[in-house]
Amino acid sequence: MDLYAEALYGYALAHLHDPSVAEDLVQETFLAALGGVARFRGGSSVRTWLVGILKHKIMDHLRRKYREGPRRDTAPDGREFEGFFDEHGAWKRKPTRWAADPHRLVQQQQFMETLFECLAGLSERAANAFIFREMEGMTTVELCKLLDISATNCWVILHRARMKLRHCLEVNWFGNTGKEGP
Amino acid sequence: MTHWMFDCREISRLVSMSMDERLTLYQRTGLRLHLLMCRCCTRHRRQLFFLRELMHGYSRLCDTRSEGVRLPPETRDRIREKLRQAAAGQ
Repeated sequence: MDLYAEALYGYALAHLHDPSVAEDLVQETFLAALGGVARFRGGSSVRTWLVGILKHKIMDHLRRKYREGPRRDTAPDGREFEGFFDEHGAWKRKPTRWAADPHRLVQQQQFMETLFECLAGLSERAANAFIFREMEGMTTVELCKLLDISATNCWVILHRARMKLRHCLEVNWFGNTGKEGP
Repeated sequence: MTHWMFDCREISRLVSMSMDERLTLYQRTGLRLHLLMCRCCTRHRRQLFFLRELMHGYSRLCDTRSEGVRLPPETRDRIREKLRQAAAGQ
């Protein structure tokens, strides 16, 4: 169990940002796995099998949460990105060059901490949307269902998440000299 | 700077949308022409795809490695106890 518990916990934490919920879902995953061990036929690794169960549990949890919670409207707001653009719609802070290799950067603990801090700065729905779209490759149709929002809202949320994340990383990582940056 | 018919603010929206959906011909043309002339938006677009690649990389990493995130010991004990009880009950 120890072999997989931490991998599952890390996976849950990346998707949920709430350690207590992550713990509960890891626990439920092990219990479900124990009950369904007869159905495990090999073919995939045990880890993949467990992550698959956990992923379903995470999605069920989010689906329930967003369906039960108040449906917040996130209509496009023209003024929302005022901080990024001037009155002519041009960049206020010009994007700098990111001279880094994403495959190497992802292995850098310090960078990942910055990334997760930036993700934590987003609304929970926006962070979930970004993670499921970019990490899991979930389609926007699936995403709309999961987050209980319209397609338009889905694009707005993803756009907002990408803008804010990119900006946050630019300021907190790539903009700092001395790190792997511009 | 305003290039062609979309400004950078609008282009940032189209770039994000193009990562999820197929744009209309009008949008695609406007986007392409703007990117040809605007280094800021070209960088911005590249960085959004950088983030996508990064998250894919992280997903693969989660599948193969687990260091970095430690399960709190008391949680591990709790899970172990629950599993023991569940196994005994079967």
